[in-house]
Amino acid sequence: MVSVSELREVVNWREGLISPSVLFDEELYREEQMKVFEKAWLVVGHEDMLRKPGDYVTNYMGEVPVVVSRDMEGELHVLVNRCVHRGNEVCLFDRGNARAFTCSYHGWTYEISGKLIGVPMEKELYRDEIDHDSWGLEQARVASYKGLIFATFDQSAPGLEEWLGEDGCWWLRNYVLVEHLGGLEALPGMHRYSTPGNWKHLAENFIGDDYHVFAATHVSWFKVMQEFMEKGYEMRRIDSSVARTRRYEVTTGYLKGCPIGFGNVTMDPAAHEHDLAMAQKLGPDVVEWVQYRRRQYEEVMKEYELAPYSFMNGAIFPNLGLMGFFSPMAGRHFLLFHPRGVKEMEQWQWTMVEKEAPPIVKEVAAEYVYRGQHMAGTIAPDDVENQERIVEAMRAPRNWRKPHNYRLQLGHEEEAPQGIPGQVGPNPSEINQRNFYRFWLELMEA
Amino acid sequence: MLTLEQKREVEEFLYREAFLLDEMRFDEWLDMLSEDIEYTMPLREHLQGDVEPAGHPIIKDDKLMLTMRAKKHETGLSHVEIPRSLTEHIVTNILIEDGDNPTELRVYSNFLVRQARKLRDEAWWAGRRKDVLRREDGGWKIARREVLLDSIVLPRGITIFF
Repeated sequence: MVSVSELREVVNWREGLISPSVLFDEELYREEQMKVFEKAWLVVGHEDMLRKPGDYVTNYMGEVPVVVSRDMEGELHVLVNRCVHRGNEVCLFDRGNARAFTCSYHGWTYEISGKLIGVPMEKELYRDEIDHDSWGLEQARVASYKGLIFATFDQSAPGLEEWLGEDGCWWLRNYVLVEHLGGLEALPGMHRYSTPGNWKHLAENFIGDDYHVFAATHVSWFKVMQEFMEKGYEMRRIDSSVARTRRYEVTTGYLKGCPIGFGNVTMDPAAHEHDLAMAQKLGPDVVEWVQYRRRQYEEVMKEYELAPYSFMNGAIFPNLGLMGFFSPMAGRHFLLFHPRGVKEMEQWQWTMVEKEAPPIVKEVAAEYVYRGQHMAGTIAPDDVENQERIVEAMRAPRNWRKPHNYRLQLGHEEEAPQGIPGQVGPNPSEINQRNFYRFWLELMEA
Repeated sequence: MLTLEQKREVEEFLYREAFLLDEMRFDEWLDMLSEDIEYTMPLREHLQGDVEPAGHPIIKDDKLMLTMRAKKHETGLSHVEIPRSLTEHIVTNILIEDGDNPTELRVYSNFLVRQARKLRDEAWWAGRRKDVLRREDGGWKIARREVLLDSIVLPRGITIFF
């Protein structure tokens, strides 16, 4: 077993040599629940999931079940889903609209804001001595950035925008949450499935592993799509030849602060042309929308010589994955990798579309997601298969001794055109994985 | 009212289907589906109060997509089915009702599917199906299928057919 004082030696991110024990060691996992999941700002949802007062969705912060709610005054709360009297779960639904939650054990009742409002026989049994203000549901600190809701258990953590960093905010605002285009709309419902493996397997996969995509893991799907397109089948899919344009890795929080990574970033004007060609198949309103988006981006990006168009994958440290699929027509996909023990996790995923997009675009975007990066998709299960195999191969601790190789593009991190926020690097690369473990180590050693 | 003979014919059709799926004879299975099949699997959730239904399903496929799913596993590069899963489809509780027109029937069934992968990985899938069977060229075809899986958090990703 690796102790925290030895971690520095086995997490040699500078050299790209990282011990697999970080993914398998039971004690490190327990430590990580405190040092990472109780300290970091964690994504717990999006404001569009909570349109009305009383709306709530349930989620997790690490292994802690939480309720993300909008109270009757419109304020956001992230409540620990645990009755403070005996620890019972108070909310049993995935999402809903309610005024209050009542515990099934002794009937303590909490307002949707978390405030304790009812204790059966309070006067007779407690002689009115319960201080309602100090016996409400525990609340995490909550903040939202352009609609994306984050929470942290660390009352002394820096503010959310400071945590995400100026560059990180720039990317999230412009390429994920599209503030300048009216923001995102959530398709209701969370897709969830269990997955073998440590939560970091998928976090590192999303933050920077673009090597696996075209090298091995997903080639079967690309091959079938290609075959069917050559046979002349008309598919409402994004032309994958965008993937053959020059692509980059982007890192924000490089060497300092919270890592956010984007992979397969395209800056090629061809990407816009692909979307335009697709739009022509879908209708004149879609063409108009694609051109409108283009003009909006030109305005927002006018000070940059070379501006990004789109990205394929990404992640915000620690456990939020992002999919942009090269095109705004494919929607935005959010994935949480929730730890459920050192070798088990759950993926919780939801889809968003640009609010102002024409209805047909929203439909195509949803379709693109559930047919691809999804639990019944043609992409995601192959990723999970890799993890299942890794777990089996790495069961024995003697197999953790030789560090894994994260050296792809080591020393070549800056070999790409710079000038936009963040560090732009060649693709594929493992810069984002190295940077992920750099920050993970910092938190673990703190 | 269906005759016993017709009822037996429909039941045998569903057992034949399960047999072909477990034998991995997907081309023959695809032939049991109508060209305009809609194959859906809605998202299951526990909802409270007045909220919108799920905005996206787990699966909503046409015949082309179902065919591509089957063909993906024939490329020899589809890792999630290397080696192939072992499956047993147990189909029961078959109920048959008249359909919207004389050529169609509504057929309900329950299923229990065990999927085994590699040495030890496994998943149990339980649920119900609501089908529309249509008479075409003297035989039956599945024209609609809705699969209701009894899982909120799915035990693994889906790479098999129900």
